[in-house]
Formats: sequence, structure tokens, C-alpha cells
Amino acid sequence: MSACQKAARPLTQCLRISQASSQSSRTIRLFTSSSRLSEEAVTETASFTPTPIYDPETVTSSKEERKLMRTGVYPIGSRRRRAAIKTSENIPFEQLPYQCFQEARKILQADREEKLALIAKERLRISNLVATDSATINGGQKVKDVRLDSMRRHLEYLKIQADINDPLIKKRFEDGQGDMTKPIYRYLADRKWREYQRKIIVQRIEQLGIVPDVLPFFEPTAEVRLAFRQKNVQPGEFVDSRISEVPPRLKVQVFDKGERLVTIVVIDSDVPLIEKDDFGSRCHYLAANIPLSPAETSLPLSKATEAQVIHPWLPAFTQKGSPYHRYSVFVLQQEPGKILDTASLKEQIKRDGFSLRRFVDKCKVTPIGMNIFRSIWDEGTAGVMERAGIEGADIEFKRKKVVALKPKQKARGWEARHASDKYKSLRR
Amino acid sequence: MAPHSSIRHLISPLLQTFRTSLTQNVLPPALLSSSRTFSSTSPTSAKNDKKKSIDPRITLIRYHLQHPATPRPLKFSRMRALRHWTIHRAWMLALRKKLEAEELELQRMYQSMHNAMEELRTMDERDGKTGRDSGRLYRVALEKKGIFGKEGVPVEYARLQTDTPAREAWDHSWTR
Repeated sequence: MSACQKAARPLTQCLRISQASSQSSRTIRLFTSSSRLSEEAVTETASFTPTPIYDPETVTSSKEERKLMRTGVYPIGSRRRRAAIKTSENIPFEQLPYQCFQEARKILQADREEKLALIAKERLRISNLVATDSATINGGQKVKDVRLDSMRRHLEYLKIQADINDPLIKKRFEDGQGDMTKPIYRYLADRKWREYQRKIIVQRIEQLGIVPDVLPFFEPTAEVRLAFRQKNVQPGEFVDSRISEVPPRLKVQVFDKGERLVTIVVIDSDVPLIEKDDFGSRCHYLAANIPLSPAETSLPLSKATEAQVIHPWLPAFTQKGSPYHRYSVFVLQQEPGKILDTASLKEQIKRDGFSLRRFVDKCKVTPIGMNIFRSIWDEGTAGVMERAGIEGADIEFKRKKVVALKPKQKARGWEARHASDKYKSLRR
Repeated sequence: MAPHSSIRHLISPLLQTFRTSLTQNVLPPALLSSSRTFSSTSPTSAKNDKKKSIDPRITLIRYHLQHPATPRPLKFSRMRALRHWTIHRAWMLALRKKLEAEELELQRMYQSMHNAMEELRTMDERDGKTGRDSGRLYRVALEKKGIFGKEGVPVEYARLQTDTPAREAWDHSWTR
């Protein structure tokens, strides 16, 4: 690109709108003045390319970079790297000419072929076993089922083993482009989740006493992430009542295949009951028959349809003086092919005194994942309660003073000896 | 403003050394140690606390990790790390296959020896009855005459079978 073109580019961008596109500048050439000259340059660049497109992968000069950045796209990596990319031909990863790498790929591919043969064999075996009558098998239907189950598990294992050594699969998973309908990506995601995130949620369940308080036992098998609008919530975090006024968005990642229906429950397990001088629980949200699959993870609670919702979102609120409330969000998997009758559940299940244990037993659902947030009285709670039409914002809970049964003892020992004002400075 | 600060920046290490040398020369050691006036505790105690708080295991780990004999950690670009990973996986896979094949071969050899001995033991059985000569070859094969004792094979002859020859194939100087 010539220097004069470069110089004229900003001018072009100003003039492009005003200039008629139909103007054929090349045909009209006048002998003339400097002003004419500049116009010519302008028109030429305008007819050439209105906005030159720079590739963020290969931009190397600082001017081009700046122009690219002005369009909102930022160059990728270092300038050195971009120059290297620009000068080298674009060889796909698996064809990179490194001898050891290519030998390694050959070994891995041979192993994959072996595994694929094993998979075909195992499939054939399973279909043969399915076809045989259970009466002819020693042990009957029970043994047949057990054998089929173990064979299917082995088949899943083989499927994962066939793909686990593929570098491109690893790369795609790390980039977050993994296709969750495929077993290998689900396996990798599960492994990653168990490394850290699951440990955290298990720790919260233990620390905050969810297991004896809400459910008798619980082993999370699905990842549940929680967010209010743009705010991601870490497990067990204290959330401002103004933030938790809107229904949260859930991201539920299940790691086993297939579509299923889930029920979502948000339960507050620290509701103070004044009459009983005790704590109870309250249901803040309940919706059933929500479809969920490994590939579709997003579950915004506000998007649940009228037919699915049993109790709509009730904002999290904690009255003044009451200890923090634990709001646990549970994802419960329904039995395959079974749809809960929301209309009858609406009448049967009340918000106050909601018991998740009873609900799990009654509806035959299995808890698969949970997340938790906490809330405490803050300056926004009164407004939230007013907007949601909840009474009791003016109530402040106070600890009941327990009168000691033992009479007060006279000071003895050191305290008695140092009781006079002489030792005032020693007293606390 | 800018040139001044840059000059100060340049000569500040020099100043520092100058100052320290001055203080070392002029001030008594007690004053030297109390150069920090904002701390209420004596600097020696703080130092001792710090020294105590470092776990000796951590010191050891640091020592060995930062030792010049320890190779530095590999720092690869993304794609190079991926290639490295590929090669590593292939190597582990090949190694496992080799070990498994060796194990299988050993099993096969042991089994075939076992079968041969079993064949010898039951060679002369007739109709499930053991005669006088039945298993004679077996007994002969397992005889240990001339192995132990004074006239036996010396223990120096015993050597495990290995893939490669010994460093010294035959010891000519050895006598009984």
C-alpha cells in the first residue's frame, strides 16, 4: 500500500458517506490542482476496499494492529507469533512433520483400531445375549440382566478408551468445544468436575449441615452452577437480597447420556417458627417436568412454563436478627418416562413446612445435583419483602435471655484480692 | 519532573549502598538493628518467629527444586505441549503393551513346563491304576543327585536368566 493511500485512509472514512458511489473517478481525469489530487487518492482507495480486513492471526505491523483494534478486534498472541504464522504454511496439527510425533500417532491409531474392533465384538456379544432366551441361560433372567449390565458398562469403558488418547479431543475439550453427546467428552468433563468443583460442593453440604437437615443422604452426580442475572454465585456464598430478588439461572451439567425430566426445588431450611420456638423450612421455588440432557445445560428458572411451575420464585429474605438462612437449590431427577402431575401437586404441596424428604419419597425422584447460597438481613431486604408482598419486615428477632439457675457467686481468689479500685487498671 | 525522577531511580542503588556503608561505619550495632521505628517488637524476635514458622520440609523441597542439578520445569507452547502429551501417551501405551506381552509369555512358558511335568507324572498309568513304573521319568527328572553336597554343582554356577549377558561372562580364575 502506498504512503499516500495510508495517509488518506482516515479522510476516506469521513468522506465515504458524502461521496457518490457511482462516481467513476478513473474516467474523469483533470489536469489540476492539489485539491484535486487528494480527492483522486481518496476516491481510489474508496473504490479499492472500503475497510481492509486484517486477520487478527497474521497482523504484524503496528499500524495495521492499531487499525484492527479500532474496529474492536484484537490481534491474537505476540507479534512474533503472528509473523511466524504468516510466513509458515498452515499445516493441520496431525500432519506436523515431527518424526517422533508421527510415530506416536501411528501407535495411538493402531491402538484405536484395536479398541474399535473390540467395541464391534462387544456389541455383537450383547446383541447375541439379548437374542437368547433367558430360560436357556444358567441362572435365568437375573443372571442375564447382570451379565448384560456388566457388558454394557464394559462397552462404555471401551468407547472411552478408544478416544482418550486423541490429542485433538483433548484440545477441543480444553477449549470448551466438546460435544457433550459423546461419551468421551462427558467422561472428561466429569473427571474435571470431580477434581475440584465437586469437592467444594460436597464440603459445603457437610459444613452447612445440608445432609442431616434437608436430606438423609446425598451424593452429587451432576454439576449445578447458579447465577443471578450476571452474578455467578459460589457455593455457600452470601447473596445480597436485592440480587436474589429475581429467579436464578441454573446451569446443570449431567454426565450420563440421555434426555430426562427433572424437578427443581429451592428450599430455605432456616425459617424461624416463633410459636414452636424452632426452625422449619419453606419452599421458595418448585417446578417439575423440566427436560434436561447433557448437551442442553441452561435452565433459567424464570423461563419455566406455566405447566411446569408449581410454586413460582419467592425472593430470598431473612428477617432482622435471625441467623443466616441456607437456600439450597436441588435438581431432582424423575423416573424415566414418568411425568409429575403439577396441577395436583399445586394443591397438595404448601410452601410453608415443605419437607424435601417427604417430597422425594412421595414423587419418587432422585436428587442428582445441588447448589447453595446463603442470605442475611441487609439494607435491601425490607424493600424486597415489600415488593414481593411479604409481611414481617418490621420484625426483629432477638435471642431469649436465659436466666442462669445457679445464684451468682461472690468473687473469690485473685478477683477478691484485687477487687479494690487500686487495681482498676488490671481489670478488664 | 520526569528527568529528575529517572536520575534518582538510576542512582538509588548506589545511594543505598552508600548509606548502608555509612551506617555500618558510624553507628553502633544496637542502633543499627533498631532502624525500623514503626515496629513495637524487637526485630530479632520477629526474625526468630519468621524462622520458626517456616517448615523444614518446605525448606528442603525448595532446596532440591531450586538446586542447579534439578532440571527446570518444561515450558512448552500449547501445541508443543499437546505434541509432548501425545508422545508421552503413546510411549506409556507401548510400554504397557510390551510388559503385558512379556508377562503373558512367562505365563505361557510356566504353563507349558507344568503340562510337561504333568504328562511325565501320569505317563505309565493304565486304566487309572498306577503301576510299578508309573511316573518313573518324573521321579528321575526331579532327582537332585549331584546337585547339593560336596560333589555337587557350586552355587557360583547358579545365575538367573537375563536378557543380556553378564558383564563378566566366565570367571576363569575361579576354583572350588
